[in-house]
Amino acid sequence: MTPLAPASVHLATPGGYLLVLAVTLPVLGVLAMLVVAPRHARQVALVTMAAGLVTAIAIVAELIRTGTALTYVVGGWQPPLGIALRADGLSATMIAMTAMVITATGLFARGLYALGPKAQDGRAPTTFWGLLLATWSALNAVFVGEDLFNLYVALELLTFAAVPLVCLDGRAETVAAALRYLMFALLGSLLYLLGTGLLYGSYGTLDIQMLSRLSEGGPALSVALALMIVGLLAKAALFPLHLWLPPAHAGAPAAASAVLSALVIKAPVFLILRLVLDIAPPHAAILAGQILAVLGASSILFCSVMALRQARLKLMIAYSTVAQIGYLFIVFPLAAGNEAQAPWETIAWTGGALQLVSHAFAKAAMFLAAGVIAEAFGHDRIADLGGFGRVLPISAAAFGLAGLSLMGIPPSGGFIAKCLLLTAAVLNGHPWLAATILAGGLLAAGYVFRVVDRALATPAIALVAQKPIPRRLELVALALALAAMLLGFVPLEPFGFLQLGRSGAMAGVAP
Amino acid sequence: MNASGLLLAASVLLPLAMAACCIVRPFRARALSLLGVAPLPALLAALLVPDGTSAFFPPPFRMSLLLDRPGAILLGGAALLWSAAGAFASSYMGREPAAARFAIWWLLTLTGSLGLFIVADIANFYLLFTLASLAAYGLIVHEQSARAHRAGIVYVVLALLAEAFLLLAFVMLAAGHPDANPAIRDVVASLPSSPMRDGIVALLILGFALKMGLVPLHVWLPLAHPAAPMPASAVLSGVVVKAGVIGLIRFLPFEAGLPFWGNVLIAAGIVTAYFGVIVGVTQTRAKTILAYSTVSQMGLLAVLLGVGLDTADAGATSLGAYYAVHHTLVKGALFLAVGILAATGRARLRPVLLLTGLLALSLGGLPLTSGALAKLATKPMLGYGYVSYAMALAGAGSTLLMLHFLSIVARDARENPQSSAPTGQIIPWLVVAASSLVIPWSLYPAIAGESIASLLQPAALWKVIWPMLLGGLAMLLVRRITKLPGSIPEGDIVVLAEAGTSVIQRLAAGIEQVDVLLRRWSVAGLSLIVVAVLLGALMFRA
Amino acid sequence: MSLASLGTATLFGLCGAALAGIGLFIVIAHAGLLRRIVGFNILGAGIFLVFGAAARRGAAAGFSGDPVPQAMVITGIVVAFSATALAVALLQRLFDLTGRESLDAPAASDKQQAEP
Repeated sequence: MTPLAPASVHLATPGGYLLVLAVTLPVLGVLAMLVVAPRHARQVALVTMAAGLVTAIAIVAELIRTGTALTYVVGGWQPPLGIALRADGLSATMIAMTAMVITATGLFARGLYALGPKAQDGRAPTTFWGLLLATWSALNAVFVGEDLFNLYVALELLTFAAVPLVCLDGRAETVAAALRYLMFALLGSLLYLLGTGLLYGSYGTLDIQMLSRLSEGGPALSVALALMIVGLLAKAALFPLHLWLPPAHAGAPAAASAVLSALVIKAPVFLILRLVLDIAPPHAAILAGQILAVLGASSILFCSVMALRQARLKLMIAYSTVAQIGYLFIVFPLAAGNEAQAPWETIAWTGGALQLVSHAFAKAAMFLAAGVIAEAFGHDRIADLGGFGRVLPISAAAFGLAGLSLMGIPPSGGFIAKCLLLTAAVLNGHPWLAATILAGGLLAAGYVFRVVDRALATPAIALVAQKPIPRRLELVALALALAAMLLGFVPLEPFGFLQLGRSGAMAGVAP
Repeated sequence: MNASGLLLAASVLLPLAMAACCIVRPFRARALSLLGVAPLPALLAALLVPDGTSAFFPPPFRMSLLLDRPGAILLGGAALLWSAAGAFASSYMGREPAAARFAIWWLLTLTGSLGLFIVADIANFYLLFTLASLAAYGLIVHEQSARAHRAGIVYVVLALLAEAFLLLAFVMLAAGHPDANPAIRDVVASLPSSPMRDGIVALLILGFALKMGLVPLHVWLPLAHPAAPMPASAVLSGVVVKAGVIGLIRFLPFEAGLPFWGNVLIAAGIVTAYFGVIVGVTQTRAKTILAYSTVSQMGLLAVLLGVGLDTADAGATSLGAYYAVHHTLVKGALFLAVGILAATGRARLRPVLLLTGLLALSLGGLPLTSGALAKLATKPMLGYGYVSYAMALAGAGSTLLMLHFLSIVARDARENPQSSAPTGQIIPWLVVAASSLVIPWSLYPAIAGESIASLLQPAALWKVIWPMLLGGLAMLLVRRITKLPGSIPEGDIVVLAEAGTSVIQRLAAGIEQVDVLLRRWSVAGLSLIVVAVLLGALMFRA
Repeated sequence: MSLASLGTATLFGLCGAALAGIGLFIVIAHAGLLRRIVGFNILGAGIFLVFGAAARRGAAAGFSGDPVPQAMVITGIVVAFSATALAVALLQRLFDLTGRESLDAPAASDKQQAEP
């Protein structure tokens, strides 16, 4: 009944401590903030960000150098009793992406809070810095976790850090949005937890590596996986479970929206990817993948139309997030492996990962640009923004470039991602998915274009900024948008780094 | 990379670099006056670089360039028009506050449209195609009028649709290929044996036909081209539509031939050629008439390429390019002429009108002009079947349309105050007009394989004169119909499409209501359970 | 002995399932936020019972009781407690600001959109 796998599943690697560092550094930052005076919170956060960025780079470098996954076994206790941390190519990519987006957001927030001299040491900025670091730590914990219960705790930490970010300004609307977010996320986590309990009851372990060696399925495994996946879907806000996302992401302050939309919802998606590809038996994975793909495709079409209909810029971007998340779910049938190719050797795997990363950069850039716009004009009604391109040319450029990536226009990461997914759809014979990808691109073009059109317009009464916006703020958004563009220069083929640490893919890895 | 390779690379890189330099304020202020310089490397490359020269950009750019005969012909003509129109623009737009923005869009469109003629790999073809398509939007809406705005929206919707068709086609083309970014030549060679051949060709034709403006996908063209400022109209109608032509030339397997799709192109082309004339005659604005004439001429080009595809005649690509370069220069010169005429007072009107008339009738095939040369060069390939007569009659239609155009511009110019166009505009115009006469002559022996003397024989002259006479007669008839002018709105059938927007609005409103329902807490909770049960049941059955 | 223990585990599991079902129903069907929070706690309690059943079954492998699920339950209770605390704090805030204690107030979602 309880087939315990051999104890030496995880061998600690020399660079493993880097993973611990990635998780604990932000926590140390938060603790330091509690100790020092509130006005120093910003400095602590910035120092932590620098250190975290270095750690992320070190993890990637170490992974490239050794060519295998980094592993850390906590306290030397092997699973099933102990807990392991592990970073393969995909995890390292996520960690690096998170570090970059968080750092950029931090720089943005530093500039934004510096605008109001009184606000700088106020309660909201201090809370923001703490929550930002806590989010970061939780994200890293999700990306390196190997133990499903440990991941549950990480997910909960993530929710607890993300929910207050939504209602930082304390307005009634945002508090309601935060509550809605918290409630639905809790529902999701409890379903996930129930699944974990069932899994442990049946197999006596929660270690992903050990579970992945179970070949036989069973009712308990199916029920447990279904509960866990649905719980994660609720947190990822995939259509039709997206009720909480638009008000939450649109109501949050710009810097918080950027982190929420670019990173926080990626954590559950990442876990679903691992559950379906690593734990689910192959046949079950294919069927589950098909359902997820149907939901993903509906998400793309439905929420893109919704984005097109929004009157407010931030709501539009929020709906666009739900739509873009859909692309990550249509990866499942496209990346379905066969005898010759494991899922992570397919182009769809690379395409999905690239979509995830480029969406993170593009969406963060968009939210930051939208934040600058809302800050400058005091509102974000798209119809009344005619001519904002003249007042804020850099923000308009950032929005436009990020939009190109969302639309899948070359050269951008979004283009390469969509091109790879489209190729996979054509090769594997999924005409409907191919049509969905293209239609999603067209609809995305529609909503991006609405804003770009406003940027280029010349209204009868010229738009004027209510307050001066420092160039530095706008440049952060532009830098993120350019990062999304630069991803367009990765070659159109399976990317070796993403296969690192995946079994059976050790050979032929490009450094 | 040798000198000619560098020159080839520079023809893409110089305009791109100039666009990038516009980030710097001093350069931006001066960019407009430098527009004429940007296409010069391309012009030199077309003149000096031998056919078959290639250049390759190392990773991560992975762009390969290749100059071949049709590419060189088109590149030369296009670069010349871009350069002249750029010089025209710096005089025409000089004082405008938004001139810098115009210059940036101009340079980006220029990069894309010139690069398309020489790019050899599939991914960068798409990149440049997109660049030319999307940057042209900035040129179209530049004047910010309500008209320009509507034109811009219709243009962008259809341009993006074309992008989507082409992306799918390119992905399907490259899908069976070991190289992720194969050369266009390689994938086209394997196209006839591809299992997805018909789907790919249909998508390619759809995408490029949208760009060329073949009926019924032409609706954006008569709206967009007239909406842009004068020099931009010239390049849009002269060069940017040729993106579709070079696309068909590059991607259709002319050597293997595809009779069915060849006939599809012929049919679409003939319909377009006549449709453009018929709607064009009802128009009352000079620029719109020219745009409809472009539609009609693109139809003729599609017929040419269709015949080549039908009969597996690879020579059609060069002939198509030859015809296209004639159209590029003449149409560019005509658009510039509209600008010049608008600024010329009555006293100096006569010589300007005379030259405009010569250019206009060249489109109809006036003997000894480039139009006649283009028609005579393509005659042998068309043979003596119904296609040949259809083309000759279309020539009559062009004559009719151009006579209509001349009567409109002559009428418009009558009210001009006493003034004359600035020299900065006249010289570029004269250069384009002159080269439209000279270049086709110089290329004729190589393209048609006949001596120039053969052009002067009475039989050859008669071949081009009778359609013109027919066109003249038709003009006399058309003038009798007083109700005709203005009877069909600009953009013709787009008006029908715009009537359908209410349906789309309702659909979207319905989606919005569904969203409100789905975002209710209890509904979302139920969907959560439904998805869980569905997933569990399916995975259990597996 | 083993039969009896199996019986207990099954009972635990059934109780847990029943509690989870009740909790789920409350959470989804009730609009009042305080009730929903209570529902979450019932749902959580049910899940912890399932973990208890799992620990009891681990005992069959020769242990007197599997310690891992117990550790998980303790962690879970802490997490659930913090979640409840956060939810109650937010609810208190919402109540202070608006006097409402439910989210699905008439046309609440429309208001979200119309809000400038």
